[in-house]
Amino acid sequence: MPNPYIPMLTTVKSIVSENKVNDIKTLELEFKKEEEYKNFNYIPGQFAEISLIGKGECPIGIASSPTEEGSIKFTIKKMGTVTTRFHNCEVGDAVGIRGPCGNGWPIEYMKGKNIVVIGGGFAFSTLRSLVVYLLNDKYRKDYKEITVIYGNRDSGEVLYQDVLEEWKKRDDINVILTIDREEEGWTERVGFVAPVVKEVAPSPNNAVAVVCGPPIMIKTTIAVLEELKFKDEQILNSLEMRMKCGIGKCGRCNIGNKYVCIDGQFFLWQNLKNCQVNIKFNYKYNNRGKKNG
Amino acid sequence: MKNEIGKLYIELGEEFNFYAPIKEKGNLIFKRVLNPDDIVLDYLNSKVPPKEILFPKMEVLFEYKTDGKDVTEIIERTDLDEKNIIFGIRPCDAHSFVLLENFFAFGDYQDEIFLKKRANTIVIGIGCNTPKSTCFCTSVEGHPFMKDDMDIFLVDLSEKYLVEGVSEKGKELMKRLKWLTDAKKQDIQKAEELSKQAEESFETKLDLKDIDKKLDPNFEHPIWAEISDICIGCGTCSFLCPTCTCFDVIDENDQYNNKGRRIRIWDTCQFCLYTLHTSGHNPRDSCIERCRNRILHKFCYYPENYNTLGCVGCGRCIQLCPVNNDLRAIIEKFNNIKKEKEEKISA
Repeated sequence: MPNPYIPMLTTVKSIVSENKVNDIKTLELEFKKEEEYKNFNYIPGQFAEISLIGKGECPIGIASSPTEEGSIKFTIKKMGTVTTRFHNCEVGDAVGIRGPCGNGWPIEYMKGKNIVVIGGGFAFSTLRSLVVYLLNDKYRKDYKEITVIYGNRDSGEVLYQDVLEEWKKRDDINVILTIDREEEGWTERVGFVAPVVKEVAPSPNNAVAVVCGPPIMIKTTIAVLEELKFKDEQILNSLEMRMKCGIGKCGRCNIGNKYVCIDGQFFLWQNLKNCQVNIKFNYKYNNRGKKNG
Repeated sequence: MKNEIGKLYIELGEEFNFYAPIKEKGNLIFKRVLNPDDIVLDYLNSKVPPKEILFPKMEVLFEYKTDGKDVTEIIERTDLDEKNIIFGIRPCDAHSFVLLENFFAFGDYQDEIFLKKRANTIVIGIGCNTPKSTCFCTSVEGHPFMKDDMDIFLVDLSEKYLVEGVSEKGKELMKRLKWLTDAKKQDIQKAEELSKQAEESFETKLDLKDIDKKLDPNFEHPIWAEISDICIGCGTCSFLCPTCTCFDVIDENDQYNNKGRRIRIWDTCQFCLYTLHTSGHNPRDSCIERCRNRILHKFCYYPENYNTLGCVGCGRCIQLCPVNNDLRAIIEKFNNIKKEKEEKISA
């Protein structure tokens, strides 16, 4: 029984700035010990607790796919103390990592189905992991049609442009990009994610929709998917919470008796909708910003 | 053996870290004994629960060395194998150790730091002859003389103790204490009488049967607002709760000596920063939700996960709450909703 709070050590291999504003960077990490990397078996959608030792630790979704061997990637937005420190990192710096944590996307459940991936903003990192995994030669045959709908505020916010270009060249994936407002030089769609999903109207037959993004996008998109006759068990959803330990001990990520870190962070909409957890979940959104009592 | 507690300490104090109730700055706390004369034997219960010994307010997760910029070495803790004896613990607090162990051993990841310490600890408890007015352990499946969760159980017979080895670990230890004499029949009888007296002296007996079924459907009941109206969110109830486990993780740097440590410190769901996301969204942003989370955690979520109540009835949250928010009254309120409903239907 090893101490679960001890991180493994990695070094920063490369740093890529992902957007025009330069507040989102992708860090590529390489394990110091080969055997630790070999034991780090993850599936798309899982997260890890990464830390700059001495500065702090935070949970970040793994942006690379297990099929991209040799290193792992994290896309980090500059938000608080720890993420700002990550932005100040240089190549060669030591980074601690614990994980993989959480359950990841249910890739077995999705086998043999049409996959509709719907992402908004920089929540796209674990979706990138998923799509790269699905498109791998080894696994592509297990899944049918793949549609990616990816929305952003403006063209400068679109992440992973090199990968997106590659996807667009392929004929076994349909990539739809959208931005909120019209912009000069933008040739793709314009509009929020939900109306674009309505336009594209993916068929619910033998399909699974994976929805990840800001709360308001999730809410509107799920309404559209329900209109398109997607059943509750066909919609996958991800939840996020503040976390410290990532292993279900520090307590703060609970929704009812579930901990998002070990029971999530991906839930079938069916499970979220029908159990009390969801009532609590929705309740909080309804009262957002309103002082109770 | 009452005046032989010192003897017990002298015999075991070298091999074990010997913890016992001690008065410090007017408060009774469980602390490592350095002088056997300090041990206090006439007390009701400690202010801070003895969970502090196994899960301290501040605890090192690991230490590290740096070369001034990057970490070079991670040093694991080596003091977890030390043996502990906790003397004088009350049955409610002994039961809390079981609940804590459930929690820290749950799931794929086990909290080695807690579990190792727990495995190396012998618990010597004393029955409560005079429960406090805030105690309600009999309502939560406990008893002032419950010995199941201890290794050795003592009954205070005013001039001496009746000693009983409960677990194998406890019996083993008792064999080493040669000065113990065989118990007399009348002593055992007296202990039974005391147990009965203590049980009868409880002022409140709550009806906690199906409490989760009463609380959960009333998730949005106005009673929660009523309760939280007087709450000042100080977190005393959860900081001093023997079954609360939440913590925060922080790195402490000693940059002048190129080293540091990652520590965990107690945290509480009663603080708004506890759940605040980096984005600014807070899923429990008002006092209502935070109060509700604490009570639902004890009486709904914990039972759902572990099939037993997450409260041991020690009454600390009632006794020490600065605004007298009484857990028992809250439970009663929810019990009454159902009764009112039933009355309405029958009328």
